[in-house]
Amino acid sequence: MRRALVVAGGELRLLLRSRLAAIGLGALLALSAVAAWTSSAHVAREHATRAAHQAAVDRLFDDQPARHPHRVVHYGTYAHRPLGPLAAFDPGVDPYTGTTLYLEGHRQNVAAFGAARESSGLLRFGQLTPAFVLQTLAPLLLVFLGYASVARERESGGLRQLYSHGARAVDVLAGKALALGAVALAVALPAGIALVAAAASVPAEVPAALAVAAGHLLYLAAWVLAIAAISAFAGTARTALVALVAAWTVAVVVLPRVAAEYALRAEPLPSRVETDLRLQAELRELGDSHDANDPFFAEFRRRTLERYGVERIEDLPVNFRGLVSAEGETLTSRLFVEYAERLAAIQRAQRARVDAFAWATPALAVRRASMTAAGSDLENHLRFLAQAEAYRYDLIQRLNRLHADGVAYADDVQRSRDAAAERRTRVVASHWQQLPDFRFEPASPRERLAAARPALLALGGWVAALIGVLALAARRLERTA
Amino acid sequence: MRALEAPAAAAAAAPAIAIAIDGLEADRGDRPVLRGLKLSVAAGEVYALLGANGAGKSTTLAALLGFLAPRAGSLAVCGRSPQAELNAVRRIVAYLPENVALYEHLSAVENVRYFLDLAGERRGADEIDAALAEVRLAADAARQRVGTYSKGMRQKTAIALALLRRAPVLLLDEPTTGLDPGATREFHRLLDALRGRGVAILMVTHDLLGAAELADRIGLLAGGRLTHEWCAAPGPARFDLAALHRGFAESTA
Repeated sequence: MRRALVVAGGELRLLLRSRLAAIGLGALLALSAVAAWTSSAHVAREHATRAAHQAAVDRLFDDQPARHPHRVVHYGTYAHRPLGPLAAFDPGVDPYTGTTLYLEGHRQNVAAFGAARESSGLLRFGQLTPAFVLQTLAPLLLVFLGYASVARERESGGLRQLYSHGARAVDVLAGKALALGAVALAVALPAGIALVAAAASVPAEVPAALAVAAGHLLYLAAWVLAIAAISAFAGTARTALVALVAAWTVAVVVLPRVAAEYALRAEPLPSRVETDLRLQAELRELGDSHDANDPFFAEFRRRTLERYGVERIEDLPVNFRGLVSAEGETLTSRLFVEYAERLAAIQRAQRARVDAFAWATPALAVRRASMTAAGSDLENHLRFLAQAEAYRYDLIQRLNRLHADGVAYADDVQRSRDAAAERRTRVVASHWQQLPDFRFEPASPRERLAAARPALLALGGWVAALIGVLALAARRLERTA
Repeated sequence: MRALEAPAAAAAAAPAIAIAIDGLEADRGDRPVLRGLKLSVAAGEVYALLGANGAGKSTTLAALLGFLAPRAGSLAVCGRSPQAELNAVRRIVAYLPENVALYEHLSAVENVRYFLDLAGERRGADEIDAALAEVRLAADAARQRVGTYSKGMRQKTAIALALLRRAPVLLLDEPTTGLDPGATREFHRLLDALRGRGVAILMVTHDLLGAAELADRIGLLAGGRLTHEWCAAPGPARFDLAALHRGFAESTA
């Protein structure tokens, strides 16, 4: 170990004295710092905007005048998905998914206002975030700084010189890897500070932040080990560079896209239009809940009359129209949930297909671990959609109950013809303020850690495998001095 | 000047025969290179090993340094086998390849300190400066980056390192190739000084005249064996140059 540390010190001194290395390292540090700062600022702004919008729509909802409950059903409200504190480090799928849902009766709308959809399209080139810098750019810098670390020694005869002073191949490789590891830590420092700052505001997020940090450290360690091993296996520094750039291209650029393409083909998602048309067709078969006399609800009418022991709906102690609306909402919502769950199942299946590629490239493993632990992954979005739908259903059913209990059937029937009856159907405004506001409950840090564990294990597997490869490289290097 | 006293002390502890090779057989890949080589170098002796390209000179050094495992025969450096006690052997051997691989971004002082650290040897700044002065590397040059050095200056740095390591055995691989006559003379002076301190020097070279000027014994390697061996005679004409040339010509024919 002592000799490995000496070799590491020598290699670090070389890197510090190399103008090219210093420029590369300085540029990436600056980029990492800029990414940390801009991403934190962006997330803080976005968080404030969404919170302000949520507060505004809640206020608008509460400030509605006295009106018929079913008008409130159609007035609707909005649900905004708040950003988790760690999204400043890794916004995950947030820019690509809608962040706002319009919630109303009889309909389940699509989330809108995804940053990528609303921007000029430049987002497709990737957002400058600390996670992007560490996952995409840092390995490339490490490749350029480390490709020659071992190959150079062999080409110059330095290996024999090192061996003749007592170093073994394993010392040389460990030393080179340690030096490159120190560079990786330096590169990760601004991102690490951003992560600590993000977690510091919410202490409960500290374990999740540690998982995000661990994922990235394992990922960078995998690259460091791969670079040292390939530099040892390659005959020349030039060969090592070509091999490593090819490895970066495949691991970071090609395979993630291949995985996504494969997942899309293996688990095809029906188009929105196709889904909507099918859903509309099925909805039509569920009758019109605005019309209490719709034949579809004849059986419901019979059961209701029987339950209350009356002959006519006029004799019911509740407003039959409100009951029909509630029954209609139950039926349509069941359909909405069924469709949403089917789509979510396909999306989860797609994700599982992509996850399998984590064993082909650590880039996918670190993305998964980072997004999941940070709470900015697909699961978080699906959770938002599910909670928003549950809230929508609950809100609409509360309004339907108010319709049934607070509005007289006779007035309801007459309200389009009789102004006085219409006034009597209006429910006092204080009711709107008593209805609960939407509050998104993200997965707890413990749940997120559990979900991130397989990806973290994959990264650990990569590191263990590459340590094995490095040991093989050391054996080979010992023989080829 | 402690650095310069040390090799003498080391030599005193070393056995009379510092390098002993007996019946050495070794291959490069599938090609047999050494076929029963036998030679020895005593403490305080310079042995020049000559031979045509591919004769096995560098392979001999590689076997002594433990870079390759011999197929048969025995090797010992100060009584230790490179196969059995590799680390111990490398601790007592200083090795100068044809092109000394120093780190270009470091100065001579930093290079020396780096390799001493690697070998686990602690030397003070005074000792390092003294060794560099002994090899006549100017103090200001010793603090410049090695990237600006001539080959001769690199050799001097490597010799200073050998002095500081107090190694009783020095292995040289084509040390004077590419050196101008002045630098070669200076290099020979340094080796002569090391010999005077009891260091056993095995020098692999093509430089027949240089070997004749410096060596105590010259061996000619051909077909994987020692075919000729000459001992230096007292007086200015130490070797019969005509015989050396003849032997060399025969070995390369």
